[in-house]
Amino acid sequence: MTAALEAIYLPAICLTVFLLGGLRLGAPVPLPPPSLYSLVLAVLLLGVLIQSGALAPGRLLDASRSALENLNGFMLLAALFVAAAQVFSLLTPDDGLPRILFCIYFLVLLLNTWAAAPDRVRVLRSLAVTFGAAFILKFVILAALSEPTAGRLGRVLQLLLEGVTLGALTQNVQHPASGYLAFFTVALFLIALALLPAHASDLSRAQGIVLRDR
Amino acid sequence: MRETTVRRAGLAITLTYALLVGWLYARQPATIAEVTGGLSSAIGAYRIDQKAFDNGLRYFRSDQFVEARAAFERADPARRDARTQFYIGYSYYRQGWGRLYSDDTLYRQGLEAAERAVALGPQQTFTSDDPSERIRTADELRADLESGLRREAADFNPMRMLRERK
Repeated sequence: MTAALEAIYLPAICLTVFLLGGLRLGAPVPLPPPSLYSLVLAVLLLGVLIQSGALAPGRLLDASRSALENLNGFMLLAALFVAAAQVFSLLTPDDGLPRILFCIYFLVLLLNTWAAAPDRVRVLRSLAVTFGAAFILKFVILAALSEPTAGRLGRVLQLLLEGVTLGALTQNVQHPASGYLAFFTVALFLIALALLPAHASDLSRAQGIVLRDR
Repeated sequence: MRETTVRRAGLAITLTYALLVGWLYARQPATIAEVTGGLSSAIGAYRIDQKAFDNGLRYFRSDQFVEARAAFERADPARRDARTQFYIGYSYYRQGWGRLYSDDTLYRQGLEAAERAVALGPQQTFTSDDPSERIRTADELRADLESGLRREAADFNPMRMLRERK
């Protein structure tokens, strides 16, 4: 990993994810801080990344590195932590039954990934699927169910759904640009995860796979 | 470029960016105008549109409160000026005031503006230099608005009908 990537690009990407992930367009509080639960999930995510070798903290903070290098490494880890917390907050619905279900979904998937102890590539793939699925559920399916419909039939179906679920499923109507912003933020976060300094053995294993394929 | 230079520059950029993001989370600006106004006021460069403010004051004194607020909002789009926020709050107070009852919705909005005036003023308060106003401090305005929003036994005193609007 180059010095520029560690000291400039990755912290900048993570801080941008933290900023954009918190942005709620048109909301009374435009930048809510991440919830306490998402901080816990962020800790778990960092644990999974370290265990899989996708993140090698020793390449960021180590006694053999200079103070400036360690400071750069610390800034990157801190930015990664807040970005991860904000991504979980972004992908979790604001209230109701879906919020509880998403919290359980993220917790179970992270614990499962931790227990499975996959390598770097598999963890990155698994996270892409987890975040992608959560994005589709929140910003496509739940948003469509909560959106005010124009047609009479649509309104009747929505009322029926609200009645059946006792209003626990529908969410606040989101700004039309929210989904696009969330997509960009999640994609940026996944790029940041792929660029993180990986464990040397994982890198050599990945290079070995490439050589074998050739 | 030497690695140390890159690392130093990276640290400075990251710290500046982190401070900016932290500031945005702390301030919760709702518009781009509030972001730019907040940043310029942080370095002491924020100025209100004096002409729009004077227009607002003229409307305010002729009891055209909606027009007054529109002019005040134009004068202080970033909501960083204690005096303008005081007059926005005052306009809500005067518009919502009634002999028998006060308009809670307007009073609530007035209270928000009065809170902003208190927060923005020097030493957490604001005092108007205009002796013609019957309410001259943001604290007094806030107290009157809060009192108007409370339900108490004194609300049913028939003598209330004789009180004057401040």
